[in-house]
Amino acid sequence: MNSSALVAGVPAQGAEPARRAPTDWRTDAMQRRIRRRYAAERRFRLMGLAAVVLSGAFLAFLLVTMMASGLRGFQRTEVTLSLDFQSMALPVTPAQLAGPGADLALAGAELQDKVSGAAENAFGPGGSAYIADTAWLAVRDAIKADPAILKTRAAIPVPASTGIDLAARGEGKPADEAVVARLAGLKLISTGFNWPFFTRADATDPGAVGIWGALKGSLMTMLVTLLLAFPVGVLSAVYLEEYAPKNRWTDLIEVSINNLAAVPSIIFGLLGLAVFLGTFGLPRSAPIVGGMTLALMIMPVIVIAGRNAIKAVPPSIRDAALGIGASRIQVVFHHVLPLALPGILTGTIIGMARALGETAPLLMIGMRAFIASPPEGFSDPATVLPVQIFLWSDEVGRGFVEKTSAAILVLLAVLLAMNALAIYLRNKFETRW
Amino acid sequence: MTPFALFVIIVGLGLIGWLTARTRALAQAATSPVRPNSLPGQHGSYVALWTVLPALAFLALWSAISPSLITASALADPAAGVLPATGYERDMILNEARSLASGSAYGAFFTQSEALAPAFAAAMAKFRWIGAIVALLLAFAGGAFAYTRVSPSLRARTRVERGVMLILLVASLIAILTTLGIFLSLVFESVRFFRIVPVTDFLFGTHWSPQIISAKDPGASLGAVPLFWGTFFIGAVIAMIVAIPFGLMSAIYLTQYAQPGFRRWMKPALEMLAGVPTVVYGYFAALTVGPAIRQVAVALGMPYASSESALSAGLVMGVMIIPFVSSMADDSIAAVPTSMRDGSLAMGATTNETIRKVLLPAALPGVVAGILLAVSRAIGETMIVVMAASGAATITLNPFESATTVTKQIVDLLTGEAEFDSPKTLAAFALGLTLFAITFLLNVVALNVVKKYREAYE
Repeated sequence: MNSSALVAGVPAQGAEPARRAPTDWRTDAMQRRIRRRYAAERRFRLMGLAAVVLSGAFLAFLLVTMMASGLRGFQRTEVTLSLDFQSMALPVTPAQLAGPGADLALAGAELQDKVSGAAENAFGPGGSAYIADTAWLAVRDAIKADPAILKTRAAIPVPASTGIDLAARGEGKPADEAVVARLAGLKLISTGFNWPFFTRADATDPGAVGIWGALKGSLMTMLVTLLLAFPVGVLSAVYLEEYAPKNRWTDLIEVSINNLAAVPSIIFGLLGLAVFLGTFGLPRSAPIVGGMTLALMIMPVIVIAGRNAIKAVPPSIRDAALGIGASRIQVVFHHVLPLALPGILTGTIIGMARALGETAPLLMIGMRAFIASPPEGFSDPATVLPVQIFLWSDEVGRGFVEKTSAAILVLLAVLLAMNALAIYLRNKFETRW
Repeated sequence: MTPFALFVIIVGLGLIGWLTARTRALAQAATSPVRPNSLPGQHGSYVALWTVLPALAFLALWSAISPSLITASALADPAAGVLPATGYERDMILNEARSLASGSAYGAFFTQSEALAPAFAAAMAKFRWIGAIVALLLAFAGGAFAYTRVSPSLRARTRVERGVMLILLVASLIAILTTLGIFLSLVFESVRFFRIVPVTDFLFGTHWSPQIISAKDPGASLGAVPLFWGTFFIGAVIAMIVAIPFGLMSAIYLTQYAQPGFRRWMKPALEMLAGVPTVVYGYFAALTVGPAIRQVAVALGMPYASSESALSAGLVMGVMIIPFVSSMADDSIAAVPTSMRDGSLAMGATTNETIRKVLLPAALPGVVAGILLAVSRAIGETMIVVMAASGAATITLNPFESATTVTKQIVDLLTGEAEFDSPKTLAAFALGLTLFAITFLLNVVALNVVKKYREAYE
């Protein structure tokens, strides 16, 4: 800005500017004007407050809505079923039950049919509809845990069917409500914490679904992501910050990293589909492919966080190490990196949290199949928690709404824990040089 | 031998190399008349690098080229005679035979693939052994070469550090390779698409219905204008109508008015909005916001309103973007020199006059750049629109009507069993390329604006 612009409006030759009478602040016009200005000030301030509060209210509303329906997903209703094992006469021997073939033997003994039969006996005609299709699994586990009950009568709590489950919470059909009232009168119905929700995988019946399969898939995918993205991210941050000469090549690297950080995540899914599945022929839906795709996505996050952390280490430390004869590699690996590590870790945790919540790229590489057993290896078909939420959200059954919200609560809890850890680390290790 | 076992063996060899070379250097140092140039451990690292690096580099290369060699070798087998000469079925059979041979499939759909699987299994075993043997030979040769050179006069430290520098450089090149990979894979598939469908039909056509693609004129039902419009309408109009005022006013309030205690709690709370996974927003939009907006629309006299309206997706997306806009605005307002603010206040201006007439104009380039980045994020956002927007491609100005976006269509086109050669699948890559180009441009412009602006005050 040149000086003549600064004094625009002022006569150039020393001519006397027209004198103005001093403002009289006590006139009515002035007082009105001041009041108007202060009112505008208050309005503006209130608008700002409203913006903050409304944004926060939306978050609270979201969380409360999820909690309201999700907390019910953590409960399940059990019906106590009395079984007369002696009259059932299951054709299984104690030796079979002790061995690894117990599941097969009990399935072969038509336990499922016999359990529904017992329900018809206990609750009258149509009684088998009160218990879940998977109720016989609870009976099977009870027999495996204690084969001696095969010689006695036993009352075993089994999961209720979805209709009864909803009715027990006051949301079912009138017919189901009547059944619940009858069972409650006999003290045969109870509501408890849904532990199997944390140990099972996906299923077609909302009463039998669990998140363990998806959670394990998520953990395996995250492990691959971490193992790939962390070393590569840290090493490239070190190179760019400590060694890179300032030339066209390193500019290109920098521009690539900055742009990768802003590329839509679904594009990484397209890359994974075309390169990892199409060109390299890696298996679809596998944690290893998901992990590689997400690693490419969060690597820029780690690089940027790492560079900032390295930049924050004061030059005096480098100079001191160089001064006593350390090589530049020693300076970095013995002094700079350990000091920058808390910052790098914070960035890494934030990046991992982002990868954990990511859905779109994983849909592209086929992680949306129905998978009813947790993955055993890194190339097994698997699903991850956000994708499981997405798949359940498409299910129409009333029971799935609760399960979806419950899974969302688990995901949010894990993410919040990760973010809290990042904040804690940042506060604990933050150093002012 | 599995790749993992091979990796462990090579690393183990490297460790052995490190130990033996260190022992040798120690022994030499004890008897040598001159002071050795490097520490024994540096000699060890020198040998370990020579053992591990060439072998692993070869393995990486081999895993990239061996699949095509395996296919070629299996096709040379007489069992390949049963294959149809070209086309989609041939690829399906080849893929199935490959997964049968590697044990990742449980049953075969095509009988031909069962016949072909043994040939694939043999070729896979052969090439896996070739790879393992060459890698191990390289490891031994590299290690032996380096080991013979261990002597007090060897400048092991310098050489090791040069090797480490090489590793660092390669790590930072991965960013370029990823960008290149994205670009090439999108361009490659898009070129195949544009061979079937003319570019002009795709870019300027106004009819989008990929479910029915006529073989005679595939371009007629693949006009992407409704998608571009829907993306712009939801991401750049509706979402920004929510995000800009809320984000900007939040930033202003938190930086200029709020008590420190309030700010300390509200800022992370707003940032949590950005940390919520988008699939959760999508679920929320589809389950709660969408039906509510539909009821509002019905009350306003639109009996056929959809619960998958552009408004519900855009509204929720706007909320998601709020913290993004507010932190960018926060940064750029904080970057305005305090002297400008103090000067304005000293002249008797009220705080809001200072903000509106001094701070915001000075911070404008940064705010605009932040908004551009927010737009780029909104139009690339996928899960919210997948779950809350509809698949119907309409060009409309009514926010209560349904609209669809580029990202939603990419997901729809690529999920389900789609063949890799049909215009339907390839269209997803063409859409991806468009999306990449648009967001890339927005990002470059925004980053340049930020850069220029930052320099102005420092």
